[in-house]
Amino acid sequence: MPKITIFRQACKGVDDCGICTFICPKQLFQASEEMNDAGYLPPEYKGERECTGCQNCMIYCPDFAIVVEKDIGDEAPDKGDENEQE
Amino acid sequence: MTVSIHPLKKYTRSHITRTTTCPGCGIGIVSQAILRAIDELEFNMDDFVFVSGIGCSAWIPSPLYNTDTLHTTHGRPIAFATGVKLGLPNKNVMVISGDGDLAAIGGNHLIHAARRNINLTVILLNNGIYGMTGGQTAPTTPRGLTTITSPYGTMEHNFDITPMVVTAGASYAARWTTYHPRQMTRSIKKAIQKKGFALIEAMSQCPVQYGRVSKLGKAVDMLKDFKVNSVKINKARNMEPEALLGKIVIGEFVDIEKAELSEECMNLRRKMMEAM
Ligand SMILES: Cc1ncc(C[n+]2csc(CCOP(=O)(O)OP(=O)(O)O)c2C)c(N)n1
Ligand code: SF4
Ligand code: SF4
Ligand code: SF4
Ligand SMILES: [Mg+2]
Repeated sequence: MPKITIFRQACKGVDDCGICTFICPKQLFQASEEMNDAGYLPPEYKGERECTGCQNCMIYCPDFAIVVEKDIGDEAPDKGDENEQE
Repeated sequence: MTVSIHPLKKYTRSHITRTTTCPGCGIGIVSQAILRAIDELEFNMDDFVFVSGIGCSAWIPSPLYNTDTLHTTHGRPIAFATGVKLGLPNKNVMVISGDGDLAAIGGNHLIHAARRNINLTVILLNNGIYGMTGGQTAPTTPRGLTTITSPYGTMEHNFDITPMVVTAGASYAARWTTYHPRQMTRSIKKAIQKKGFALIEAMSQCPVQYGRVSKLGKAVDMLKDFKVNSVKINKARNMEPEALLGKIVIGEFVDIEKAELSEECMNLRRKMMEAM
């Protein structure tokens, strides 16, 4: 199953951006409840099993805030909070 | 658990943790499409010199890209890039800038660089507006669009940049939108490898200055608009001009081989040295 990581601090919010919610063929992103430090609401990944690994979310995110890694076994996709870059 | 890192992060400056653009701006999609092309070609960032002008789009290489960048005056990046290429012919010289910068104030440089067929890769982000200065009408603004300086809709006809660059003599020219980032990356790879003037016109959404005032909507609405209004060039060639009104013709417009300026200059230099 592909592993999806969301870098919440890099995201500019599903309200005004939300490209990931539109571009995922399985609609696996939805608004989260908690703001990041800049006051934006990053998406929440609700996918797990349905993700096709198409990488759309990574390629279309204008803020380099989503990473898709293929074939990482059965490790559950995390929400990226522990994996914040920089 | 292993820490996940964005595969393109290795090409960006580590102290830049956020892009300079507004939420949902297409500039970030193009920025990634360029880095993915460099990554897939297995080039080193030090093989490149990036040159940009003034505008939101011009902020792609500096501060983001971790290599030599030249952030020049408004409209002049192609003039600077011409000098860089003639001085350092072994570098890949890439110009990244906006429609206002490269096709309005800098329009003559664009035309004549294509005419000279100098080996540059030009990524022209066309958001149809002067984004950075507040959304004024540009020569690229679609006719009839409401902007901050055209409250009754623009009266002028807009520039059709890619065909103009083809006519001027470019070796390679392609147009894609931010709804087509994979195709865009493929074309950027070709453009980098092309010996000659290569243009990628990247139609890009500016949700803040264009989408809001024109009432076209937010980033997602604008991407949907690109999706439904794009027509592949092969199909467009068989369509009547009226049917193409409001459409964006996408695809490769030209891909040819012809004599290139920086190589001609080097050949001449060699000949002169031998004659001395
Ligand atoms: C000589 C000069 N004239 C005008 C300006 C003001 N100015 C700054 S950016 C810009 C337009 C940029 O438009 P574009 O290249 O389309 O970039 P965008 O912000 O849309 O990406 C203008 C007119 C300037 N900086 N210098
Ligand atoms: S890889 Fe494709 S299917 Fe999986 S979350 Fe991203 S966009 Fe959705
Ligand atoms: S596409 Fe990227 S920046 Fe936009 S809402 Fe999704 S994660 Fe955030
Ligand atoms: S003003 Fe427009 S082009 Fe400039 S960063 Fe904002 S959305 Fe992008
Ligand atoms: Mg512009």
